[in-house]
Amino acid sequence: MKITDIINSLQELNFDLKYEVKNKNELYVRIKADQIRKIVLICVDLYKFNYICEFSVVEKKTTIKEKETTINCVFSNSKQGYYVICSYTTQKKPIDLSNIIYQSRLFQREINKEYDYKIKEVSGTGAYQVAVGPVHAGIIEPGHFRFSVMGEPIENLEIKLMYKYRGIEKQCEDINANTLNLMFERISGESSVAYGEVYAILVEKLLCADVSAPIKAFRVVLLELERMYNYMDDLGGVGNDIGYSYVAKKFGYFSEVVHQLCERVTESRFMRNSIVPLGMNIDFDESKRKDILDTIRGIKSRVLSIIKMSVNSVSFLDRVEDSGMVSRDMAKKLCMTGVVARACNLKYDVRAAFPYELYKEIKRDINIETKGGVFERYKLKARELKDTFTFIEKALAYINVDIKREKKEVCLIEGLEAIASVETVKGELVVYGLTGKNNKFDRIYFKTPSFTNWTGLSQAVLGEIVPDFPLINKSFNMSYSENDK
Amino acid sequence: MNNIIDRIKYGTETIKNPIKDNEFSYGKIVAARNVCDNCGKCMNECLVDAIKINTITNAEHLVSIDDKKCIYCRNCVDICPKSVLQMTSDYKMSELELAGDKLRDKIYKTFNRSLVLRVVDTGSCNACMSELNAMSNTFYDISRFGINVSPSPRHADGLVVTGPVTINMKEALEKTYHAMAEPKIVIGVGSCAYNGGIFKEGDGVFGTLHDILPVDLVIPGCPPSPQAIIFGLFKIMDKIKK
Repeated sequence: MKITDIINSLQELNFDLKYEVKNKNELYVRIKADQIRKIVLICVDLYKFNYICEFSVVEKKTTIKEKETTINCVFSNSKQGYYVICSYTTQKKPIDLSNIIYQSRLFQREINKEYDYKIKEVSGTGAYQVAVGPVHAGIIEPGHFRFSVMGEPIENLEIKLMYKYRGIEKQCEDINANTLNLMFERISGESSVAYGEVYAILVEKLLCADVSAPIKAFRVVLLELERMYNYMDDLGGVGNDIGYSYVAKKFGYFSEVVHQLCERVTESRFMRNSIVPLGMNIDFDESKRKDILDTIRGIKSRVLSIIKMSVNSVSFLDRVEDSGMVSRDMAKKLCMTGVVARACNLKYDVRAAFPYELYKEIKRDINIETKGGVFERYKLKARELKDTFTFIEKALAYINVDIKREKKEVCLIEGLEAIASVETVKGELVVYGLTGKNNKFDRIYFKTPSFTNWTGLSQAVLGEIVPDFPLINKSFNMSYSENDK
Repeated sequence: MNNIIDRIKYGTETIKNPIKDNEFSYGKIVAARNVCDNCGKCMNECLVDAIKINTITNAEHLVSIDDKKCIYCRNCVDICPKSVLQMTSDYKMSELELAGDKLRDKIYKTFNRSLVLRVVDTGSCNACMSELNAMSNTFYDISRFGINVSPSPRHADGLVVTGPVTINMKEALEKTYHAMAEPKIVIGVGSCAYNGGIFKEGDGVFGTLHDILPVDLVIPGCPPSPQAIIFGLFKIMDKIKK
């Protein structure tokens, strides 16, 4: 169904609604609070939309005691590529939607700021709990895991995060739009480029601007370079947790090679402050093209041989096969995104559904696996890694001129809103922006991929043994930083 | 078998001197003398207030940049109309916080053969964690210099902290510190660990690491490259030849 059909269809249902189409692919529907449950049910059951997120926008004080909050529920139609934003105002807590959409409780807890909750307990013969964290062994971010175990198998896993909560969304409202990309890039260091990119898309959408084809191609090169070193780290991490240190160390080395390439190209190992709205903040010339091509061609055959080495090893397969399974229905219920969801046979990739930059031309099909275990995630990451090599070469072919460093001033008009999405390494990242006064934003909301995928992890470990947890965790490799914000 | 063939085919990947000069690295920002006209554009552009302009005489202004606060985004370098500021590739910026203290010197001497570290992340963006992980890859291979990461604070000589200290992580950080045996050192990695960096004003941030623990070394950068971190660790181990 196209966006106009949705409007016609909703009008036939005789609800008292206000419609507005913004930025070509965003339908804003203003709903009265008592009708929201019906509309959400129609969106999910009749139109088969995907639930993305739910967040509060502006708190207005109506009287001294009472305040009014606008709640936005975002849905997407991945086949036609548009978003539907259902918004309603309420003076109390948001209306409970959890019996229609399971994951809604997660977002409502975030809106209500109810982070304290009771951890489930198991009782009986052989029942005990294992508490891990927040400070872990090794160089890992903080988070608390509580395993409830019956004998050997894990009965329940509670993941308690938010140790790294810094209040980034609030801070974004105080920063001028010209330097806000720096803050975006520091939400998750591993996905710096993707966050820079989503900010650029957001601002370009708000300004109805576009950039030239070579710049688009160059952005794709940087995005894919980032994907490359992240997947190398992920594959190496799986090798490390199994005890296959040769594979782990080699992937670590390849990742270092790519990091050094990034440093040569953009003067930053994480390619920070490279993608800015309306342009690029770094130069590109023939020597850089040669450097990128030489480096990635130099390691490509070696990367492929190491992947082959790992999947041909019996002891490796013994650990990864049939462990950490998530079913397709469960992945859909938990709104999982990214590689983790694609391993469960959910065919969804932002690069194909909402193509940005050059992906319309170069991203033809979506890689999927069916079983949803550790091995499927490993294979899928390996395939995505192979794809990055071809994407970089394809994208470089689009750059026919030298790109000059250019940073234009951004002037935002008050009261505009837009939604931008990018496929980061972890999955779908959706950012909502509402502009305010003085070239600043009034509200920035991040729906980070890790936020919903973490709940997938607690499903994946059920029935497995505790020593398998690090392996399953590494095969997910979710970011604590972007979840906690 | 495959491992051995691969190993023979490609040889060793480790570099001999991990703190050799790197012309592509970001590094110290230096200011030219007698050029600045005090327009203040760089100060407005800076997100972390790392830039100060000191007026010496009426016509002469000196720009100074705090290495530890700086996030090396280069916006000030680009915006300066008179090109006063310039970025060098000198990443060797870490300085001991309490230099000259004789007791401290003694402590560093005891660690100069090996250093076992415990890493605690208190709210970083995970780029610093990624760089700390990269130190032990086969390219840098820091374990040959006696630097290792311990899984338990009981076995550690030093505590490495990344990120601003969030309210939720403060207690865990203190507990980790008190679980370590004396003598112990605290190393802050990245500008966030020095004074909160870009997240300083966040409502979930408790304060700076200096308020909670005595910091011995700060490694500046956002994130500091593995080379910069290794340089800082060598400095505390007294391995830098003067």
